[in-house]
Amino acid sequence: MTDQASPGITSERLIPGRGGVARRQAALLRLSTAIAAAHDEAAIYRSVVTGLRDEALGYNFIGVFVVDDDTGDRVLKASVGWPDVPDDWRVPFGKGLSARALEDGKLHYTADVTRESEYLPSLNSGSEVDVPLRVDDTTIGVLVVESSEPNAFGGEDFEILTAAANQASIAIGRVRLLADERRRADEHKALLDTMQDLVGELELSRVLQAVLERAVSLLGVTGGEVAIYEEDRRELVVVASENIGKNSTGTRLALGEGAMGAVAETLEPLIIPSYHEWLGQSGKYADVTVHAVMAAPLLIGRRLVGAIATVHSDPNRVFGPEDLRLVNLFAPQAAIAIENARLFTAERQRAEEQRALLATMTDLSSELELSKALQAVLERAVTLLGVTGGEVAIFDDATQELEVVASENIGKDSTGTRLTMGEGAMGVVAQTMEPLIIPSYHEWLGQSGKYADVLVHSVMAAPLLIGGRLVGAIATVHSDPERIFGGEDLRLLNLFAPQAAIAIENARLYTEARQQRKYFETLVDNSPVAIVTLDREERVVSCNPAFERLFGYAKQEAIGTNLDALITTDATRSEAEGYTREALNHPVHGIGRRSRKDGSLVDVEVLGVPVIVDGKRVGLMGLYHDITELLRARQAAEDANSAKSQFLASMSHELRTPLNAIIGYSEMVQEEVEDLGHDELGLDMQKIHTAGKHLLSLINNVLDLSKIEAGKMDVYAESFEIRSMLDEVAATARPLVDKNHNELVVRAPLDVGSMRTDLTKVRQMLLNLLSNACKFTEHGTITLEVAREAPATDGRAELVSFSVSDSGIGMSPEQMDGLFEAFSQAEASTTSRYGGTGLGLAITKRFSQMMGGDIQVQSAPGQGSTFTIRLPVEVAVTPTGATPD
Amino acid sequence: MAKILLVEDNEMNRDMLSRRLMRKGHEVAMATDGREGVDMARSGEYDIVLMDMSLPEIDGWEATRRLKQAAETQALPIIALTAHAMAGDRDKALEAGCDDYDTKPIDLPRLLGKIEALLGSTT
Repeated sequence: MTDQASPGITSERLIPGRGGVARRQAALLRLSTAIAAAHDEAAIYRSVVTGLRDEALGYNFIGVFVVDDDTGDRVLKASVGWPDVPDDWRVPFGKGLSARALEDGKLHYTADVTRESEYLPSLNSGSEVDVPLRVDDTTIGVLVVESSEPNAFGGEDFEILTAAANQASIAIGRVRLLADERRRADEHKALLDTMQDLVGELELSRVLQAVLERAVSLLGVTGGEVAIYEEDRRELVVVASENIGKNSTGTRLALGEGAMGAVAETLEPLIIPSYHEWLGQSGKYADVTVHAVMAAPLLIGRRLVGAIATVHSDPNRVFGPEDLRLVNLFAPQAAIAIENARLFTAERQRAEEQRALLATMTDLSSELELSKALQAVLERAVTLLGVTGGEVAIFDDATQELEVVASENIGKDSTGTRLTMGEGAMGVVAQTMEPLIIPSYHEWLGQSGKYADVLVHSVMAAPLLIGGRLVGAIATVHSDPERIFGGEDLRLLNLFAPQAAIAIENARLYTEARQQRKYFETLVDNSPVAIVTLDREERVVSCNPAFERLFGYAKQEAIGTNLDALITTDATRSEAEGYTREALNHPVHGIGRRSRKDGSLVDVEVLGVPVIVDGKRVGLMGLYHDITELLRARQAAEDANSAKSQFLASMSHELRTPLNAIIGYSEMVQEEVEDLGHDELGLDMQKIHTAGKHLLSLINNVLDLSKIEAGKMDVYAESFEIRSMLDEVAATARPLVDKNHNELVVRAPLDVGSMRTDLTKVRQMLLNLLSNACKFTEHGTITLEVAREAPATDGRAELVSFSVSDSGIGMSPEQMDGLFEAFSQAEASTTSRYGGTGLGLAITKRFSQMMGGDIQVQSAPGQGSTFTIRLPVEVAVTPTGATPD
Repeated sequence: MAKILLVEDNEMNRDMLSRRLMRKGHEVAMATDGREGVDMARSGEYDIVLMDMSLPEIDGWEATRRLKQAAETQALPIIALTAHAMAGDRDKALEAGCDDYDTKPIDLPRLLGKIEALLGSTT
C-alpha cells in the first residue's frame, strides 16, 4: 500500500531483539496517554505514529490514512519512515492493499507485498499490516504498518496494533463529537443572538413558533409544542405547535395534565420513552401519532413561564441524556424569549396607547431600523457560514422588484440595487422560491450585470418567505475559489432565512403603523380645531397648536394640569365638568363658553369623546371649535330675518286694507251691474274680484309665514267638536270642490268627539290641503277622513289624524322632495298651470308642528296623493313668542 | 227685513257693507266708534248689531260687554266682525258676549246666513 521504495532502506525492526513485555506495555501506555491528551484529530494521528515508533515497539514505517467523505479517497494524515511520500498523499477509493481493511473493517496482513498486484509500492518489498480505524461502526480510516522484510509480523503485533487503532478510534470519535458539539453550540449562540435581537419586535406566538422550529430542527425530532403558563388561571396554553400530527395551538392543559403539564408541576424535565403507554397522558392528545416525548419546563429563575415538548413519531428513535442536555440548554432561552415577548407586548400596547393619544413618538426612520436589523442578521449568517460576504434584499410588492438593503463584504456596497424577478441569484430564488447554489458565479448564465464588478466565486441564495409569501431574498458568497457551498451550508442558511423574513415583516408592520400614526399626528397638528387629550384623571396629556392658539396656553403649561381648572370660570366650571365626566363614557357635544389664559372668554363648540384602547378606557379627547364668529353671524342673521319678518307682517297688513276695499267693492259692483243686466261688465268685475281674493290669500300666507318665522305666531287652545269643525270646513271648501267637478267625501266616526287645540289653524290647514287636492284633481274624488289614533310612544297624548286624499295627478319622489319647504311647488311650471303660492304646505307643516303634531305625504305619479296631519288631541300650549323651530 | 246697526270706523268698509246689506233689503244704521255704537244700540231701534272689534273711543269687546251687561240691551244679538282670522279672536269675542262672529273681508252670503240664524232664533 505504499508508493515507492528506496532500495537503500533496510529493515530496522529488530524482531528477535525487541524489548521485554514490560517495556512494550509501558510504551503502549505512553501511546494511550498521548492519544487521550490530544485535542484534535491531527494531534491524535501524530501521537499514534510517534507512539508506535517507540524503540520498545520497534515499528519503523507507519502511516495513518483517513477517508475523505466527499471523494472516498484515503488521505495520509501522519506518517513516519516512508521516504518521498507527499504529506497529503491521496490514495483513490478502492486502490491499494489497505482498501481491504476499509471494505470489511478487519485487520489484514500481507506477508509478502511483492506478490500483491494491488500493492502501491512505498517500500520495494516486505510485509504490511492494515488495521481499520472505526468510529460508531463506520470505518473512517486505516493504520498502516510496514516492514521492509517479508513475514515480519505476528500475533503479538496484531494485538498491539489493534489496541493502538482502537485507542485512536475512540479518541477520534470523542474529538469529532466535541467538534460537532462545539459547532452546534456556535449555531445555538448565533441563532439565539439573532433571535434576541428580533424578539423585541415579535409577537409572542410568532416568537415561540420560531423557537419551536429551531428546537425541532436542532434536536432532530419529529415535532413539538410550546405552551405558555397563565398564572391567573394556573393553566398552560399551547401557542406553538409543529408537526405533531395536529395543530394543538390553543389547547389548554391543567398543571399535571399531559407531558407539559407534568413538567410544569414538577419543574423538572421528563422523558417518556413510550407515550401511549404512559399513564399521565392527556385525552387532548389521544389522536396524535407520538412515540416518545421529551418535555421541559420553561423557567425564569424558579418561576414557571411555560413548557416545551418535543416528540419522536418514529418508534426507533428515543430520547437520551444528550437530548435532555440540549433541551436544557435551550429551555432558558425559550423562557427568556417568552419573557421578552411579554415585555414587548406590554411595550407595544403602550405604543398603541400613545398612538391613540397622539403623543409624540420617536422619529426614527423605519428604513434605517430595518436595514440595521437585516445587517445584523446578515453579519451573523456570514460569520457562522464562514463565507466572504452576502446580501439581503427586500421584496417590493408594488414594483415586483427586490431591493438590496444590507450588504456585507461582497466587494462593493450593493445597498439600493434593484433586481427584477429572475435577475441575478436573488432574483432567481425570488422567482422560484427555492434556494440555489451557484458553484462558479462568473460562469453562471443567469448573472446580473449589476454584479459584474464584484469578486465573487460561488454564491448561495435563498428566498425569504413568510407563510409562503415572498418578502425578500438572502445571498451569501465565497470569493475564495477553493471554497464551495454544500448541503450543510444550505441547512444553516435556511436557519437564518426565517429570521430575516420575520425582521422584514415586522419592519413592514411597524412602518405601516408608524406612517398611520404620523398621518394622524399631522392631521391633528394641522387641524384648525383645538384638540386636547386627557387621562382618566382629566389631566392634559397632549394638545395641538390650535389648542395653544385658542386658549393661549403653551403645551408645556397645559400638560399635566386639570383641563377644566385651566379653561373654565366659576360660572362655567360645573357645566364643563359635566361634559368631561360624560365624555369619559360616551361622546358628548355641546356649546359653551371657556376662558383663555388672559381671562377673556370665548364661545366654543365642544366635542368630547372617550379614548378606548383594547377595550380599556384610557382617557378622553376634547375638540374645541371657536364659534365666536359663528354666533355673531347667527345673531346677525337672526336679526336680519326678524326685521324681514317684521317688515313683511306690517306690509301685509297695510296691503290688506286697500285690498279689502277692492274685493268688497268689486263684488258689490258685480252684483249691481248684473242686476242692471250689464252681463259683460259683471264678468269683468268678477275677474277683478277673483284676482283680488287670490292676492289676499297670497298676502295672508306671507303674513302667516313671516309671523311664524318671527316667532309671533301663537297657538290658542280651544275645545271644539271635531265633526262640526269638519262640516264647516267642508262647507267652505264646497265652491273649490265643485269648480273641477270633483266629489268630496267626508268620513268621520260618530264618536270622534272633540279636541282641544288651535281651531283656526286646524281649519286653515285642512282648507289648504283640500284646496290643493281640488286644484290637482278633475272629475275625481277627494276624501277627508278623520280618526283617533294611539300615540307613537307611550306616555304621549292620544292623536287625531286628518287625511286628505285625492285621485289626482300625484307626485314622483323627486317632486315630493322639499314639498313642505316655503315657496316650493312640485315644478315651476305647475305654478303657472295650477296657481297657488307654494306657501300652503309650508304653513301647514309649521302649524302642525306648533301644535305638537306633524304632516306626512304619500303619493305616486297618476295615483293621487294623501296628506295626513296627526295632532295631539290636546295641545300643549307653548309660551308666547317661542319659535317652533 | 232686519234693522241693522253697523259699528265700523273704517269708512270704506262701512260704506261697502252698508250698501250691500241695503241692497239685500235691510235697513242699516251706522256708528263710527264704540261709544256711539253703544249709545245708538240703547235706543232699542235695532234687531241686530254688527260690531267691528278694533274701534276708537271704546273697542268692540268693551262695547259688547256694556251692551250685554245692561238689562235693556242684553237680548240684542251682536255679531263680531274681526280682522283677518286671528286665532283667539273668536274666543275673545264670545267671551265678551258676542252671539257670533265673522271675519273680514266679509263673505256676504255667509254673513247673511248668520244674521238670519240669530234673528230666526230670537224672533
